[in-house]
Amino acid sequence: MAVQLEATAGAVTDGDDRLVSAAEPLAKLQRACGGEIPGTIAIPVLLETVRKARRYELKLARSIAAQTASESITAWVEVEPRDDGLPGCAIHLRNWLVTDLPVESVETGDARREDIDRQLAELTALLDPAQGLLAVEAQAPDLQELANAMNAGLGRNWAEFVEIEGVRRDQAMHWRLLNGASLRAPGSNRTWRVRLFPRGLPGAEPIGFELVLTSDEPLPKPAPVRDQSIEAHAARGLIGREVAPVLRQPIARIIANAETIRTRLAGPLSDEYSNYAADIAAAGQHLLGLLDDLSDLEVVEAEDFSTAPDRIDLADVSRRAAGILGVRARENGIVIVAPQLGEELRAIAEFRRVLQVLLNLLGNAVRYSPADSQVWIRLEDEGSRARVIIADQGPGLNENDQKRIFEKFERLGRSGDGGSGLGLYISRKLARSMGGELSVESAPGQGARFILDLPADLLSPREADRR
Amino acid sequence: MTAPVQPDFADSDIESVLREELACGDAVVQTIAPILKHFLGSGGNALFTDDVMAGIRGMAGDVAQQLLEALAAASGNAGHSEPNIADKETLTGLLIESPDFLSHLHALAIEWQLTQRLQTRLALDPILQPMVQDMMASADPALSALAMRILAAQVRFCQAQRRMKLPLGELPGDLLHGALLALRDFSGEAASATAAAAEARLRQRYDEGNSRVGLMSQLLVGIGGRAVSALSVTHAGTAMFITALSLSTGQNRDLIALSTNDSQIARLALALRASGLKQQEVEEQFIALHPDIALPPLFDQLSPDRAAAILASAGYTVRM
Repeated sequence: MAVQLEATAGAVTDGDDRLVSAAEPLAKLQRACGGEIPGTIAIPVLLETVRKARRYELKLARSIAAQTASESITAWVEVEPRDDGLPGCAIHLRNWLVTDLPVESVETGDARREDIDRQLAELTALLDPAQGLLAVEAQAPDLQELANAMNAGLGRNWAEFVEIEGVRRDQAMHWRLLNGASLRAPGSNRTWRVRLFPRGLPGAEPIGFELVLTSDEPLPKPAPVRDQSIEAHAARGLIGREVAPVLRQPIARIIANAETIRTRLAGPLSDEYSNYAADIAAAGQHLLGLLDDLSDLEVVEAEDFSTAPDRIDLADVSRRAAGILGVRARENGIVIVAPQLGEELRAIAEFRRVLQVLLNLLGNAVRYSPADSQVWIRLEDEGSRARVIIADQGPGLNENDQKRIFEKFERLGRSGDGGSGLGLYISRKLARSMGGELSVESAPGQGARFILDLPADLLSPREADRR
Repeated sequence: MTAPVQPDFADSDIESVLREELACGDAVVQTIAPILKHFLGSGGNALFTDDVMAGIRGMAGDVAQQLLEALAAASGNAGHSEPNIADKETLTGLLIESPDFLSHLHALAIEWQLTQRLQTRLALDPILQPMVQDMMASADPALSALAMRILAAQVRFCQAQRRMKLPLGELPGDLLHGALLALRDFSGEAASATAAAAEARLRQRYDEGNSRVGLMSQLLVGIGGRAVSALSVTHAGTAMFITALSLSTGQNRDLIALSTNDSQIARLALALRASGLKQQEVEEQFIALHPDIALPPLFDQLSPDRAAAILASAGYTVRM
């Protein structure tokens, strides 16, 4: 066993002390302690240290000790506030030491299980030596029916009131064989486990029994009070909530490493390998994009999805979108012609959603236009409607394609170019949710015109002046 | 102690105020004797000897001084003048409001006292102990490097203790946080921007793992099972011994330091037993720490688990 000065495992937490990501063996311990990733830290000492480091904004270093069912773990942890500006902490672990817990003697183990069963019992009954009922007491609501029946039939054998798995009702059973059996009780949907504790001197013939029923399943909660934050999480769906956060970091790491190899930061490398690395990085980028699209898809398809309309200037949004994609366009030899400064077109819509739609449309235009071509962003004031038109000099679309292009996962036969087939579907959903529409006009060889149609802001000062 | 008596009080009011004051005074008078008894406690091993008290006062003042210097540095006046004595006293007063802070200083003073005592009686070097020496000679470069850093930290500790000082970086994270809150209290609304800058700089510079206790704990966790050897005060030295006992029992290090005192032998015996030491090994520790006290026979019959349970059930238990 050597002292390690290098951290072996790392983990990152967020502002609520949830583990966002964790390397082994911490991840395993988190799960062994009943936690999830992402999820609140389930290792008590670690949670305390992380919470302090986050609140105090101090780099803390402590030893932690934890136990799973069979192992005792000690480790040295260093916890420091994250340096990427996000709330939460980075955790570094060293000297992870696992020792097996001493094996418990059978007697101690039995005695403890007995204590636990008694502690967790949801029905207890006192039996005579022939297992006839003397007294019954039930705590669980779903066992009240059984308890009432038993109380009405005191003196009868307790097994007559329940269905014991693998045992016929009229079959007499030695108590030792019944110990640990599963049973079904009238009025309860849960499976119950039987424990019979003999009363009297150990070794001698029992003078009666104590019957204890426990269940591994909790009583189903009638109407859980829903927490708003949980609801907000749920609305984001499986991918946005569960998959994306877990995948994003490893993929980002793959991309970063591939970029390192591609740019030969770690040393000289033949061109082929550098190109492979470029492929890996591109594939990673594609995966990240897909992940974003899928998360968005879930959002726009959720029943309660709505936008937050505001008074915005479509010329401003267009110029920003053009600015964001300008570099990529120039790399492809394409010029984006955005509305001039001073131009203005007022509409009612949510700024970031319109920007998202325009980025998608412009991105497509840049991706499918030939080199040395132009992409125009035009604004049209149609009275009660405001329009943004994105026109390119690409290959154009036939009528059939124009119908299919807004469908989910529609790629029009393309592949391997980094698209997910979701962008236009999501964009149209967004446009419609803002009371607008997204449509296309095109002919093969004539380029395509995508038209985002939104309600105009009729009360804006400029419009009012004009009238 | 003396609330000003308002002149427009009616006679009966004055009477009741005076009575109350008198009652407070009575309470103080009654506690003088037990406090004095503690202060004058026999031998050089008492909890409140003059040097322990002086050490605590010195360390508290030093922490205050460093905080004020950080404040001055943030406002651009670094090194120009000594911090105002009145300011230092006010801040020291705020710091020692925290019982945890006081207990920590007290525990350090007690640890230092024990270190010196063992040096006199057993010729135990305050800095270089067989255990650290072994680790420094280890073939594992990481281990020997860590041992070197511990040695350097212990040198700084001894020096600081002689000067009755305590660097901010040596405070446990919780206490530094408390001290910074006291600094916030002290600077109040007025200088909030500089105070915030000073505080942020101190927080950012801090690394608990680089403190003396942090390094020692790191070594003990790192060597795993071999850490048991640190439970011998003559092999590991006072500081490592206290740290190891704290780790193995899960008790606060300050409380363990305190339990080396004559008045806490039961706590020490139980902690050693709870760490799994056998009767003879516990006796060896007692010969070193309390040569005049004999362990009850059959102490072995108390299982480590029971010992831990008794410790945990004690009224004064502070978890790490």
